[in-house]
Amino acid sequence: MNKLIQNEMMKLIAKKRLVVIALIIGVLVVLFTYAQYKEVQREREKLGTNDWRTILQQQIVDTTNRLSSNRLSDEWRQQLQISLQQKQYYLDHDINPAEPGAPTFMRIFLENSIDLFIPLMVMVIASDLVSSEHSMGTVKLLLTRPVKRWKVLMSKYITLCLAISLIVAIAGILSFLISGVVFGYKGWEAPILTGFNVTDTGLNTTDVKLLSLWKFLLMDFGLVWFVALVVGTLSFMLSVLINSTAAGMGVMLAALISGAILSNMVSSWESAKYFFMVNLRLTDYMQGSPPPIEGMTLSFSLLVLFIWWAAAMAVSFIVFTKKDVY
Amino acid sequence: MSKNYVRLVTIIGVVFFLLWLGGLGWAVGNYYAGKPESPPQTSPQDKAVDNKKGLTITAIGDSLTRGTGDETGKGYVGVLVDELKEKTKQTVQLTNLGINGQTSDQLRQQVQQSEVGRQIQKADIVLVTIGGNDLFRGGQGLMDFDSDNITAIEKKYLDNLNFILQQIRKNNQEATVFFVGLYNPFIEMDQGKEMSKIVRHWNYDSAEVSAGFPKVVFVPTFDLFELNVNDYLYTDKFHPNTKGYRLIAERVASLVTW
Repeated sequence: MNKLIQNEMMKLIAKKRLVVIALIIGVLVVLFTYAQYKEVQREREKLGTNDWRTILQQQIVDTTNRLSSNRLSDEWRQQLQISLQQKQYYLDHDINPAEPGAPTFMRIFLENSIDLFIPLMVMVIASDLVSSEHSMGTVKLLLTRPVKRWKVLMSKYITLCLAISLIVAIAGILSFLISGVVFGYKGWEAPILTGFNVTDTGLNTTDVKLLSLWKFLLMDFGLVWFVALVVGTLSFMLSVLINSTAAGMGVMLAALISGAILSNMVSSWESAKYFFMVNLRLTDYMQGSPPPIEGMTLSFSLLVLFIWWAAAMAVSFIVFTKKDVY
Repeated sequence: MSKNYVRLVTIIGVVFFLLWLGGLGWAVGNYYAGKPESPPQTSPQDKAVDNKKGLTITAIGDSLTRGTGDETGKGYVGVLVDELKEKTKQTVQLTNLGINGQTSDQLRQQVQQSEVGRQIQKADIVLVTIGGNDLFRGGQGLMDFDSDNITAIEKKYLDNLNFILQQIRKNNQEATVFFVGLYNPFIEMDQGKEMSKIVRHWNYDSAEVSAGFPKVVFVPTFDLFELNVNDYLYTDKFHPNTKGYRLIAERVASLVTW
């Protein structure tokens, strides 16, 4: 088994996929850092200050004014109201919700890449793990060895898990190093609030917890990693089922993008919450944003993702061990 | 490719695997079992005003402060700031805390917030518009303005105004406060004359309350909108348009000294 994993790792490294992914992440982080920097500059110019309390107070008033418009949809209104209450809570307790620095940038980067960007990067590796063996004809060489088929697949899956862990780590390290050049490398100890409960009546702040940013980040990383793992497993399954890599990737891509679109409009279609792709934004629960569909909670999303994961695992292994290879 | 390199990458992968797994477990554990811990209350002196340069303006009030109806989005506050920037050659920092539809009751609540207090504290000039929504109630005031009702509303409003100005003075003894009075947007309507009478009376009482405080200047706008009111009103026939806001801004600008 150990040998098999080593062998798979070697193939992974030889393909240089991780390097390509690191490059993509690096370029995007540079872009985001620049965009964020511009945003901060613009805000400062507009208000003539970089005092965060003034900026936050101004945002609160601006949001209040947007709420007074009667052309808002109900969900949008609720979202604005919750973000308003959160901001007010931060302000009342004198905590800067976005302490400038690389760790805050990392947090924002993670929260925004959890449902599309990181899964896409994972797909780059996962979607041809098995199907490429078919297209290159190496699958026969692999299966003629005196090793059980499930062991072969298992070694591939374990390699995938390690690769996903590495991708998440690369995203974290690169976003920290690159954004730090502009925003500075401090701010690990900055306080952040979590545990806001979104209820029908608005925001419940009785369970609010105060965390250091580094602890919060580690939790965020854990959630991002879990999402990446589930998406990776699903594309792994497709790679087993469909011999064409491009087709497998297309299916997965369609699912991910439909998830991003669905989350914006499914609030009235309740059973859509059992789709894996509307459950990807786990970090939103930590932060206290309202879920896309009423009744979704962290444990619900985790459970849904876990079931999809387990189903994908079962299908992959059953199909791969039974499949005729010719 | 050396075997050691492959092994190294594998080991790093395993380390991060365990780290992220731990993070996931911690996140779930903390989310469900973590003890609520409310953030420490901060004392006001922690938030001392940073040393500033230039002129600082804080505007509070209703949609007039906000600039509703102005196509350029500036409102009288924005126009005023532009003019001051030109005249003083200093940097002017504006915090506009105006909220659409705000009544004197709501403003009374708003000025008690600690951050709003801090914004007032650091201001050189405080601009206030309030009362329009108390009196006109979005046009409904046009229908029923029997005098008993109006008297009750006005009494409450004057009490709120007194409180608001007190609160401003408590936070900042130095700043000049410009309190912008009401105009009558309904002056050309059927009952415009009666309404004007009420507005004049309202303004008079507001000016009286303002006079009770040092460095609070009541700025009348009634006369600005007395002739050709429709040229200066937005399509809702209630808020000023760009030209109307310019009139108000010019009047305030001529009063500002520094």
